[in-house]
Amino acid sequence: MFLINCPYCGERDQSEFTAGGEAHIVRPKQPTELSDDQWAEFLFMRKNIKGVQFERWNHAHGCRKWFNIVRDTSNDKIHAIYKMGDKPPIK
Amino acid sequence: MLNFNTPIIDTKEYSEIKISKAEPILKINLRGKNRDFITKIGKELSIITPVDPNTSSSNEKLNLLWLSPDEWLLYSNDIVDLKDANFLEDKLFNEISKVKLGSVTNVSDHWIMINLKGAKIFELLSAGCPFNFNNFKNSKGAVTQTLLNHIDVIIHNKNINDLNLFVRRSFSAHLWSWMNDSAKFI
Repeated sequence: MFLINCPYCGERDQSEFTAGGEAHIVRPKQPTELSDDQWAEFLFMRKNIKGVQFERWNHAHGCRKWFNIVRDTSNDKIHAIYKMGDKPPIK
Repeated sequence: MLNFNTPIIDTKEYSEIKISKAEPILKINLRGKNRDFITKIGKELSIITPVDPNTSSSNEKLNLLWLSPDEWLLYSNDIVDLKDANFLEDKLFNEISKVKLGSVTNVSDHWIMINLKGAKIFELLSAGCPFNFNNFKNSKGAVTQTLLNHIDVIIHNKNINDLNLFVRRSFSAHLWSWMNDSAKFI
């Protein structure tokens, strides 16, 4: 269990949130021109690294807004939280 | 046909906790993003639209709760006959939805309002809620959306030791039972 500082509501318990997977995956501009493998790569393949990862989260039991988190998956330490559409504050 | 009947018909009193149903009351969900929408709500309802997170504003008849940056819940202070209370929904619909400033949805039958009073109500809530009530309980007008016994709730801290809790109709009987059971042990 850990606390997440929702950019809209403030600090809340993790149980109020749902994880939405890896962030900053860009949808291909012309899906019809992709091969099945390329489309599957975009649609299904996600990193699952041990360490700092960029993720999407949703405050499902609060304001229901989506936002991004930079989280270390090995110890749940949150390095940054930023709104959808914003650039990551760290690289 | 909307079902305005609530499964909860009781008032219960425990040691420094009083739990009662406050229905039927008018509840309207308002959604919109632009400044004109916020101004229009304030003008139509004679109420300042709360734009700060987790806050609310009230007048003698209505309360307006901040739910998210583009969503508010409007509810009446007093019990009303919902069949005769459509004028406010119609007024907002004509001024907001029709001119595409935002959306107006009557959610009177969607949420059940339960009133909690007493010195130990936050002990009761803390028994099943991950939210930290330390600052909340002293902030008159504070609003939060959280989980209570794994059920989504909206909590409006109307006064010191006097709050209104909104729960979805289908979960209300279960939450009511849980609150009454838990209150016995506080």
